[in-house]
Formats: sequence, C-alpha cells, structure tokens
Amino acid sequence: MRLPKEADFTSQTHGPRTAARIGLWLGIAFLVCFVTGLLSHAIQHPPSWFFWPTRPINLYRITQGLHVVSGVAAIPLLLAKLWSVYPKLFGRPLVRSLPHALERGSILVLIGASFFELTTGLFNVAQNYPWKFFFPVAHYAAGWLAVGALLVHVAVKLPVIRTALTREPKPVDPPTGALSRRGFLRTTWAASGVAVLATAGVAVPWLRQVSVLAWRSDRGPQGLPVNRTATAAGVSTVDDTWRLEVVNGGVTMRLSLAELAALPQTTAELPIACVEGWSQSAIWTGVPVSALLRAAHASPGRAVRVDSLERDGLYRSSELPAAHADDPLTLLALRLGGEALDLDHGYPCRIIAPSRPGVLQTKWVNRLEVL
Amino acid sequence: MRVLRVVLAVLGLAALGWGGSLLVPLLLGSPGDAVSLLAWLGGGPVLHDLLLAPAVALLGTVIVRALSPRWRGPVTTGLVVTGTLGLLSVPLLWRENSGPPNPGLHDRPYLAGLAAAVAVVWIVVLLCGVTHRRTKSSP
Repeated sequence: MRLPKEADFTSQTHGPRTAARIGLWLGIAFLVCFVTGLLSHAIQHPPSWFFWPTRPINLYRITQGLHVVSGVAAIPLLLAKLWSVYPKLFGRPLVRSLPHALERGSILVLIGASFFELTTGLFNVAQNYPWKFFFPVAHYAAGWLAVGALLVHVAVKLPVIRTALTREPKPVDPPTGALSRRGFLRTTWAASGVAVLATAGVAVPWLRQVSVLAWRSDRGPQGLPVNRTATAAGVSTVDDTWRLEVVNGGVTMRLSLAELAALPQTTAELPIACVEGWSQSAIWTGVPVSALLRAAHASPGRAVRVDSLERDGLYRSSELPAAHADDPLTLLALRLGGEALDLDHGYPCRIIAPSRPGVLQTKWVNRLEVL
Repeated sequence: MRVLRVVLAVLGLAALGWGGSLLVPLLLGSPGDAVSLLAWLGGGPVLHDLLLAPAVALLGTVIVRALSPRWRGPVTTGLVVTGTLGLLSVPLLWRENSGPPNPGLHDRPYLAGLAAAVAVVWIVVLLCGVTHRRTKSSP
C-alpha cells in the first residue's frame, strides 16, 4: 500500500471541466443561502438603516424557504465538487510557494466552513443539536467565512474557470471509471434534484406528500406545527382575570378577552414562516394591532414592543417595526381556522404579521407597548 | 479580468476577516463550546478526505470490476442518490441530541419514507439498465 499520486486518478469525473460546471451551481446555491441568510439575520437583528416590507405577505416564507432548499441542494453539489478535485489533495510538493500555501489554506477554510454550514443547518432544521455552541451565532459567522473563502477561491481560479466553461470539449474517450464525465454531471444533478424533492415540502404545499424527509407534518394542533409548546414555555391557560395591557407613554389601557373579542375583527390568510424553513398558511381572526394602537391614542409610524406571558426564553418578547405595527393585516389573533387558539398556538392571543419570521410572531401576548 | 480578480479577492478577504472576528468571542467562551465549534469546523474536511472520498473511490473500483458497462452508470447513479437520501435522513433518524418534542415537527415516519424513496430510486435504476439503448453501445 502507498498513498495515491495525483496522476493515479484517471477517471474523467475529475478535472476542471467537471469542477467548473458543478462549482458554478454550488456557487449559485451558496450565494442564495448567503443573501437569504443575511436578510433573515437583519430582520431579527435590524440595523437602523434596515427596512423589511410587509408585502408580499409570503416574502419571508419565500426567502427562508429558498435558504433552506438551496442549502439542501448544495449538499450533493459540494460532495460532487470535492470529488471532481479530489486528486489535487495528493498533489506534491504539498506547498510550492507562499501564495500556493495561502491558496491551500483558503481552500481548507472554504471546505471546513462549507461543511459546517450545510451540516449544522441540516441538523438545526431537525431541531437536533449534537454540539455545545449557540447555533445562530456560529452559523452566521461561518457563513461569512464560507463566502469570503469562496470569493478568494473564485479570484484565484477565474482563468481556469473561464477556460473550462468556454473551451470546446476534446473528443470523448470511453470512461475508465464507473461514470463518464457527462454521466457524473447528470448523476450530480439527479442527486441534487432528489434532495430538493425529498425536503422542499416543508415550504412548498404541493410537495408535502412527496417530501418523505420533510421535518414537518400536518399533525400539529389545528393543522399547524408548533415550535415552542406551552409546556416548554411554562405557560398555562389564563383565567378571567387576564388583561391585555396596551401602553402608550404614561397611559395604560386594559382589555379583557371578552372586550378584545367584542372589537371589530379582521380575518386574513397569513403564513407562519419559521427560520427553520417550514411554513404554513392559515386563516387567522383577531384585532388589527393598528386599531388597538389607535384606541390607545398612539400616532402611526411607531414601533411596538410585544411581551409574552412566557417568563423567560430567548423569544419571549419581540419588536414590531413601525411598518408592521401600522399594517392592517398585522393581527392580535384570537382565532385560528375559526376556532379559539390552541394553547400551544398562543391562547389567549398572539401576534401574526405578514412577512415575518415565526420566532417574532410572539405567542401568549399580554402587553403591547408603543416605543 | 485582472480588475475583477482583485476586487473578488479583496471582498473575499474582507468577508473572511469579518467572519473570523465574529468567531473569536465564541472561541474565547467556555472551553467546551470552543472545542465543539472547532471540531465541527474541522470535522468536515477530515471525514471527507480520509473516509468518504476513499470509500467512494473503492466503491467505484468495485463497480467497474463487478458490473458490465450497461449496468455501471445506472447502479452508480442509484448509489449516489441513495447515499444522498441517507445523509439527509441522519438528523431525522439519529435524535440523541434533539430538543423537546414539538407537535407537527419531525414526527413523520422517516425510516419508512426513506425506504420508499430508495425503492423508487432502484426501480428507476432497474428500468434504466433493462431499457439501455443498444444502438449507443454498438459501434
């Protein structure tokens, strides 16, 4: 036994022509992941200049669905890309010069960060955490590493990529390995397509029955998945003494559930769209937040803090930006599909706003404060 | 093209620097967190280069020796797609580190679903092998 040499890999599935084609699609998938990931991050931690629209109502559902689906599609693409350049690992000398050393280093960062993003993302959507670090922060940081190393890689390889994508192919020899170059490319596209079909039902309703590896079902209460149960949140059904507080400056308005239900109600079809990529439309009925703010004599154009009965937890409180607070479709929902909210969906009332991440659709609301 | 390459490289280095600076506080936190993070960052390349890729190379050699040219393509594609489905199902099937159960989430019959998808894949493999176009293989 000896270590293989670069020249030992004779299969047509290796080489720049394969690597450039798969790399192009992998690059597109990573770009989609990165841009949609940045958007989701900015919505949850908005810088002062950031604006996220309330229309179309499915906007966040689409961007986050794309984030997760393109990440899944990238898994077979990454493995095929690495296979196409695997002989390079055995190139000798290990390091030819300082630029060569830096290039190899950047590729190690690229591969490490790429695997990190795809594997931690896949485990996270399954709510499965075989690690100790805090996922959102690490996934965000490694996303910058992956894209940074990818840009450096493209800068280094641009002449090779251009030649590989534009030059006429040489006459085809019979394949020496299990697959020809073309067969390998077709196999890669097939694996990527099957990976998408097997999972995209989390976001795409008509794929729900096809996607056997979708991490959601229709078995949640009232047909809607629950990401944090009342038990996990330490919340139980409220009694008649419960009041919703609407605070505007020094004035506090208190409303019982019966008083809320007696106000003019709006019914709207709005999606719950989770950061974990799954989404589901539902018919919600409740009082528009903007109507409650008007009743509390708040002027439009103000952000609103939403507090929950939940005592602790990362998402016990959220802030509705002014655009969402003013939108007539942003509801303090009392009903889901015509029935009172299930406790797991936020009874007595919850926020449901168009085009927002599910973690910010605060449940078990007991206080709105104009900021 | 030179300008484009320089711009890409500068943007890339800036993003790398920013990502690295975001990771520093995580690495300076508790040692357990840092070890876990470094293992996940470094684990991918190591597992791929030392385990997965050699296994795939070996499998490819076995396929070339054991199968006629007619079956090599379909069987290899079938194995790649099966492997992809297998990898995707790992977080759904191995749940020792899962969070609290949530109604409507990760509660489908994944083993049965995986088996059904793999069965469909291999039916397609069989059909492709059986209906292999003879015109293509004759000179």
